[in-house]
Amino acid sequence: MKKFEVLEHKADLKIKVFAKGKKELFENAMIAMFEAAQYKPLAGGEEKKEEIKISSFDFSSLLVDFLNEVLYLTETKKEVYQRAEFEELSETGLKARLWGRELKTMGVNIKAATYHQLELKKGKEGLLEAIILFDV
Amino acid sequence: MMFKKVMINRSDFKKINDWLWEIPKDFRSDMRVSCRIYASEKMLGQIFRDQSIPQLINGATLPGIVRYAIAMPDCHEGYSVPIGFVGAMDVSEGIISPGACGFDINCGIRLLKSEYSEKELKPYLEKLATEIQKEVPSGLGMGREKKLSLQEIDRILERGAVYLAERGYGRKEDIENCEGAGRLEWAESRAVSYHAKNRGRDQVGTLGSGNHFLEIQKVAEIFNPEIAKDFGLFEGQVVVMVHTGSRGLGHQVCSDYLKEFIPLMYNKYKIKVPDREFACVPFNSPEGQKYFSAMASAANYAWANRQMISHYLRETWKKVLGQKAKELEVLYDVAHNIIKREKYKINGKEMDLIVHRKGATRAFPPEHPEIPFRYQKTGQPVIIPGSMGTASYVLAGVQTGEQAFFSTSHGAGRTMSRRAAIKRISGSQVVNRLADKGIIIKCRSFRGIAEEAPMAYKDIDRVVEVVHRAGLSQKVAKLVPLAVVKGE
Repeated sequence: MKKFEVLEHKADLKIKVFAKGKKELFENAMIAMFEAAQYKPLAGGEEKKEEIKISSFDFSSLLVDFLNEVLYLTETKKEVYQRAEFEELSETGLKARLWGRELKTMGVNIKAATYHQLELKKGKEGLLEAIILFDV
Repeated sequence: MMFKKVMINRSDFKKINDWLWEIPKDFRSDMRVSCRIYASEKMLGQIFRDQSIPQLINGATLPGIVRYAIAMPDCHEGYSVPIGFVGAMDVSEGIISPGACGFDINCGIRLLKSEYSEKELKPYLEKLATEIQKEVPSGLGMGREKKLSLQEIDRILERGAVYLAERGYGRKEDIENCEGAGRLEWAESRAVSYHAKNRGRDQVGTLGSGNHFLEIQKVAEIFNPEIAKDFGLFEGQVVVMVHTGSRGLGHQVCSDYLKEFIPLMYNKYKIKVPDREFACVPFNSPEGQKYFSAMASAANYAWANRQMISHYLRETWKKVLGQKAKELEVLYDVAHNIIKREKYKINGKEMDLIVHRKGATRAFPPEHPEIPFRYQKTGQPVIIPGSMGTASYVLAGVQTGEQAFFSTSHGAGRTMSRRAAIKRISGSQVVNRLADKGIIIKCRSFRGIAEEAPMAYKDIDRVVEVVHRAGLSQKVAKLVPLAVVKGE
């Protein structure tokens, strides 16, 4: 199963994310965001660990709010994350741990994840699919 | 709520004149006003190919919107409304929408004038570009080495460029020549989150990446000698253009308020809009007022950012050209992503309006009370950047611009996606082509360069021709790049 694909958009970055379950969807969305925008970690270096706790309006907003919180950490701590583990993930809240490395370079700077045309659905073969537009 | 799909045909557009098209209010039942698009027939064809028009129609559904939902000739699809949008809402009944301002609050342009001609400066250009790149961090969303304290950030949020000028990083004239005099007084730092302030601590005086740039340019052509003279512009003159905004701080302010407003929009205020990204609340509500203050704070941060960059530019200028080199002077500094409260006559009655400009440049006419005394006769300088390596323009605001709430386009506007551009051309090819034209380009890597290739944008000359002919602003001078400093 591929984790994501990049969709066509005139000015911004639009990504379709695939996953077998909700936790994986959130983790894959984070990985997709960094890979599509080419955020690259510094080779070697020590592992970085962060914790996130968020509550949101509904499940699809929660996904966008999670990604924006990750972007905040990336920009202020100069880190990029490769793995997320969710201690809690409900319809309106989550508690997660992130693992990553120091950020070396990025291809394009993501300003934010948007709620525009946000789509969350069950697709082919029962996989969860999310389409997310990022302002870059 | 799902985004509404609209089937729209060319026959649905009513031609007002060669530069203006209308989609009447009765096209879709939830439209509150008609849409108006400033474009040539050919450009309309380009605009038609992406989601700009359905997004503009969505803009026409916003509560309190008056007269028209307007699209500029450089418009392209974005999120909520298209980039290149102007929408004015009645203060008493209308909404304020963080999504219709966007993440890059007070992204804008500052143009600085030198006293040098291209010929005089040519021997120093390479050195100037190299030094500027060193002094003004321009890539990766990264910042400066020194972090400002949260107290200093609060002062910048509340007092903008004025605070920096008082601390010796600028002159009185710099401030006078900024939209809003470099400081929106309704800013309140307490309306801005810790997250946003923290993101802003090391980014005052940084360009950022994407389409932001700093260019050394020359005045290549004068269209209106009288106004050019009043603006202090002459043919062959070297000028410096700075294109950047409020950086991570502005992005965070927008993210914070979108998150806060979506539940309020649906549950508390029961506002129905076709796209969640509008996240709008009544302007006259505690929450609307709080966002308006936060937005103003981020706008002040952006003016401070461009002020600090001007300071570094001036230092570099002196370092390379000698201490006797005459200081760069600010022609004007104008926002193209901002929400402002302005007065207009609607159906013969003066109304207070909340003007949302997302990818549109304010363009006040002669004798407008909000522009400096020195531009009362000429109208406000309206500065429109081209895409990387192409021409830019200086225009002047005109009275007939009132039809579009005194707004003009903000650039060339994308016509090709980033991915399509990358497939067509490499970053090194773009750099080589610019070098062939004699343009110096300073970028830390080729990443992101192909995406900003001139071929990915509309022809700026044609975009400017539309705003000139439609009577939104008048052409004063054309600027062409000599050296480009860009983020990665």
